[in-house]
Amino acid sequence: MEIKREDILHLADLSEFALDEKETESLGGDLQEIIGYISQLDELDTSDIQPTYQVFEMENIWRDDEILPQDATREQLLALTKNEKDNQIKVPKVL
Amino acid sequence: MKYLPTIGIECHVQLCTKTKLFSEVDNDAKDKEPNSCVSPVCYALPGMLPRLNGEAIKMAILAGRAMNCEINAHSRFDRKHYFYPDSPKGYQITQFYEPIIGEGFVELPSGTKVRIEHAHLEGDAGKLTHFDTYSLVDLNRVDTPLIEIVSMPDIHSAKDAHDYCKELWRLMCYAGVTNGDLYNGNMRFDVNISIAAEGAKELGTRAEVKNLNSFRSVERAVEYEIKRQSKLLDAGKKVVQETRGWNDAKGETTGQRSKEEAKDYRYMPEPDLPPINLSAEFIDEESAKLPLMPKDYREAFGGVIAEDILEILLDYPSLMQKLKEIDNKYVKSVSNLFASVLLAEEKSAEYLNDLPSAADLNELSSMNEKKELSSTATKEVFLRLFDPQMKGRGAKNIAKELGLIQENDLGALEKIVDTVLAKPETAKAQEDFKAGQEKVLGFLVGQVMKESHGKANPSVVQDILRKKLS
Repeated sequence: MEIKREDILHLADLSEFALDEKETESLGGDLQEIIGYISQLDELDTSDIQPTYQVFEMENIWRDDEILPQDATREQLLALTKNEKDNQIKVPKVL
Repeated sequence: MKYLPTIGIECHVQLCTKTKLFSEVDNDAKDKEPNSCVSPVCYALPGMLPRLNGEAIKMAILAGRAMNCEINAHSRFDRKHYFYPDSPKGYQITQFYEPIIGEGFVELPSGTKVRIEHAHLEGDAGKLTHFDTYSLVDLNRVDTPLIEIVSMPDIHSAKDAHDYCKELWRLMCYAGVTNGDLYNGNMRFDVNISIAAEGAKELGTRAEVKNLNSFRSVERAVEYEIKRQSKLLDAGKKVVQETRGWNDAKGETTGQRSKEEAKDYRYMPEPDLPPINLSAEFIDEESAKLPLMPKDYREAFGGVIAEDILEILLDYPSLMQKLKEIDNKYVKSVSNLFASVLLAEEKSAEYLNDLPSAADLNELSSMNEKKELSSTATKEVFLRLFDPQMKGRGAKNIAKELGLIQENDLGALEKIVDTVLAKPETAKAQEDFKAGQEKVLGFLVGQVMKESHGKANPSVVQDILRKKLS
């Protein structure tokens, strides 16, 4: 599979990344290499093999519906944001 | 040209679990400070791991059963990627490939059946508030458990769209899986609408009206879209496939700028959550906890309570449970009392928080049946049964304290009638009545009622008077 320039631009668009020309080119190269590496799997016939969704063979891991104290306070969490206002995270206008 | 509308509805239901879907933090953010019900999982801090809430699985089973749906033994979670400030993870954890709830149907009061395609569990996103130059993000709603219910396009009118949403709301409330508070967004509806010439083989191009939060707005949005699309087609134009927003004040939908080509969510299996594999026993055990549903009450009370009254009362699950507890023979009179209070007093919500006991309602109805209470007095005592100061005393004591119990004892009543007839001021009326003037009987009954301090049963008094004056 060949990664085209449009594919990179599409992915950048989906990810809300603004890429300059140099980055577009180098990311294209990186992605091409990754895809090429994974493509080795195409050499195998997997038509009879069920997809593996996880490798630990665990299932039904769930917890009780009880509130527990949290490790992080609102202040700690808000401290991680660039801008805040009225205890909310302030972001550029969207929509 | 005549067009047939075709409508499919997606409904998001917020589950009323104590904690969120993927972490042990408070799920009830109502009236709480912004960003106070959040955990590192909601915030998507590096290294965080989602921990699935077992209660949400149990509720999903109940919700599915309420809609006559198959419960899929095997289900699992996927990541749906999109970048938006309401989602710190950069993806939503949902069930895209293998949802927990399979096919089923919802039957509307009109008898129309709307098939359910599937329903799945997912985490809600945060809340954005938009201002002039910026938006504020509150993550309290992140990972509130949702069930998204996807209907088949089986709806063909605005009325049925309204009724479907309302019935879903009832089913979810009866199943006890949501608080059902529409005003606070506990249920939200996305409506897909297309129209096609009657008899056409193919469906028209659809528009999706997103994020409606009342049955009325669903109905109005569908009516508006049918008109808008009909006008376009009549003028030889085309309907554009797009997402539209609803402006409730203006009563119209407007196209939203959206990147249609960007609808590429790159789903992948959620590696942090092992799959769910439910045994048949577990599914049966949880399904058995489903309480009586609206259709059960329609069956039970259909011949007893008038249909229009029943449909109003069905909005209140606790009330239907109460009707089920009382004596069958009193269901009709008690349901009428509830209906008159709910309709006339406009206090429905507060009245229904703490209903009178079945014993009180039985006693009240029995007193009314024995004519110890007039219908006015019955309603009066009924209202007192909701009064926190009075309710503990019981229907009979309240009636006694208020002096509302009617005198039905013939001997006692005859004595009172004799006293009244012995009074000189009633002499003329007695003569007039004997002379054939029917209407003076009312005056005489009134005098007896006065003498009895309002406690005499007027129809019994009338009988006695007729007998004595004949």
